[in-house]
Amino acid sequence: MVTLQHYLILSAVLFSIGLLGVLTRRHAVIVLIGIEIMLNAANLNLIAFWRFGPHLENFEGLLFTLFSIAVAAAEASVGLALVIAVYRHFKTPDVEKMNTLRE
Amino acid sequence: MNAAFLILSLLAVAGALLAIRLHNLVHATLSLMFFFVALAGLFVLLMAEFIAAVQILVYVGAVGILILFAIMLTPHVTGENHGRLCSRGWIWGLAGAGAVFLILIAPVLLMAGLDTPPATAALSPSVREIGLVLMTPYGIALLVMALLLTAALVGAVVAASPPARDKDEPKP
Amino acid sequence: MILDNPDQLIVNLVQQGLDLLSGFPIVVLVLCLLLSTVPLIAIFPACFAITTWLERKGLARIQNRIGPNRAGWFGLLQPVADGIKMLLKEDIVPRAGDQLTHFLAPVLLLVPAFTVLAVLPFSRNMTPAAADTGVILFFAIGSVSTLPVFLAGWSSHNKYSLLGGMRAIAQMVSYEIPLVLSTVTVVMLTGSLNTVRIVEAQQVSSWVLGDNAALQILGQVLKWNVFTPWGFIGFLIFFVASLAEVNRCPFDLPEADSEIVAGHLTEYSGFKYALFFMAEYISAFAISGLAVTLFLGGWSGPNIRPWWSDDPQALLIPGFVWFFLKMFALILAMIWIRGTLPRLRVDHLMGFAWKFLMPLALLNIFVAGAYYYLPRWIGWPAGFVVLYVCYEWLGRINRGSLGPKRTYRYA
Repeated sequence: MVTLQHYLILSAVLFSIGLLGVLTRRHAVIVLIGIEIMLNAANLNLIAFWRFGPHLENFEGLLFTLFSIAVAAAEASVGLALVIAVYRHFKTPDVEKMNTLRE
Repeated sequence: MNAAFLILSLLAVAGALLAIRLHNLVHATLSLMFFFVALAGLFVLLMAEFIAAVQILVYVGAVGILILFAIMLTPHVTGENHGRLCSRGWIWGLAGAGAVFLILIAPVLLMAGLDTPPATAALSPSVREIGLVLMTPYGIALLVMALLLTAALVGAVVAASPPARDKDEPKP
Repeated sequence: MILDNPDQLIVNLVQQGLDLLSGFPIVVLVLCLLLSTVPLIAIFPACFAITTWLERKGLARIQNRIGPNRAGWFGLLQPVADGIKMLLKEDIVPRAGDQLTHFLAPVLLLVPAFTVLAVLPFSRNMTPAAADTGVILFFAIGSVSTLPVFLAGWSSHNKYSLLGGMRAIAQMVSYEIPLVLSTVTVVMLTGSLNTVRIVEAQQVSSWVLGDNAALQILGQVLKWNVFTPWGFIGFLIFFVASLAEVNRCPFDLPEADSEIVAGHLTEYSGFKYALFFMAEYISAFAISGLAVTLFLGGWSGPNIRPWWSDDPQALLIPGFVWFFLKMFALILAMIWIRGTLPRLRVDHLMGFAWKFLMPLALLNIFVAGAYYYLPRWIGWPAGFVVLYVCYEWLGRINRGSLGPKRTYRYA
């Protein structure tokens, strides 16, 4: 019997894996991948709360997740465009080398 | 039900772990795709079929390809190590992620304020109902989302386009 | 009597067989699983073999030559000969390439191609997976097939492969938008994403369930979506976009031999190439099947109720016969177009998708909305007129300028 606790623990694990990726890796695209993993873990959390919640006929959980997916797609596109633009300036995708503000 | 949840969650965790640990970026993106598909399977288990289809359509079909394009446009793809894989302070990153994990787990383990009623086996919502709810009470949110996506599209095109050349540069 | 409804003959036989075995629920479960997957895996590769023969003969005749005629009567065993050749070829993998993704790419391309066949309604009660979100599932799983094309191009460690792969995925992603927008009109006016409901909405049910045979025939044909203004333009947009989705001529720049040495398929030989080939054709079948479902009425055709039965839904000729006839008609149209039209250049290809097909699909949605609210006798001709004006206007905007007028001195 899969309860709400299982889904919450799973989404917490996935969220911290994504956070680990954002905090430790040096390549800008991997940081964005970590952000996507975090957003997906949050979506899983939302759907789990909707499913195990008392009012299954309110669709707020589903719609929240739908809008979250749309916002994540928009953010991924802008983020990757920024990575390309920043790479064009710094000539490296290493986020540790991007430590000077443009004068 | 239990077996499906176990398999899908193992696939999701393995996909996410590989996605952030692999050297080869294309392999990492491929395992991210498997993560997305596993998550879509979990959505189906949670009776949200429409969201599962949208997840595959948007994430695997669009965001994944976007990440691949970005990888192609910024080289240093393959596993030749131009330095370390992780940043210098990786132990602090690990500690931070672990702390966040403990904070997220704490209410679950302590069962603090989580009242889980037995899940009623209702039918999954039909797309017609989702469509009606999306249009009538949440129509404004839909329009705002359309504006947001348009702004993101224009912004991404402007941010990624090469800088305009000055007019009085000598032609090559 | 079993033959009460020839349309449901197979379904009734299967149902009776499963009832006989009802004492063993595990066996019934396994049989149900097998029955929804094995027919697809058995029938569609056979269709693929027939289509390869059809394509080679058809292209040959269009190009004023004969085509394969050595392997059996009229070359009918040519697919068998091709299969044996592909299996016996050496499987070469470039050493500098990425072994894992080189192996995974054909497999990852074949899986979505077969999976989307499950949402197509071949006849009444003969949909392998009748999901409530059928159309969106089709597009979702179909859009997964852009990933293995890129993996094939990248893992070959070859400039032409990479370039071909990038062009192929740019083309596939661009043409998904007119494809999905043209189905929005059908979904809008049917009110459901369920493929079975979409087919049922294209029959005039009061005429079909009535007693007049002529009305039965007309009722199954007249209400097809392709005979409405938005359906006609939607069908054309869908068909053109589906040609681009499966990388067929005139959109086959990514895999054209004279342009880019087979593009992302350059380094594939033998069985893996056969798998790519099969995946492309199965995708073509799947997308033609969806076009038949959405616009051409699915399993309905000029059918009458058999005179000996009293089941109001009985049909004389089974529904899947009409489905496959229409699907093969679309495949024949694809082969015909391949033999006739030249290939598009890559910037023309992308411009066509973004600047012509997408605005036309958006205007189509507006016309469909107006068609819903206006009375039919105004909406039907007005829709055609408005769409023709939009088509002309978009064509003129995108035409570009002609070059300088050439004068021939010695002609």
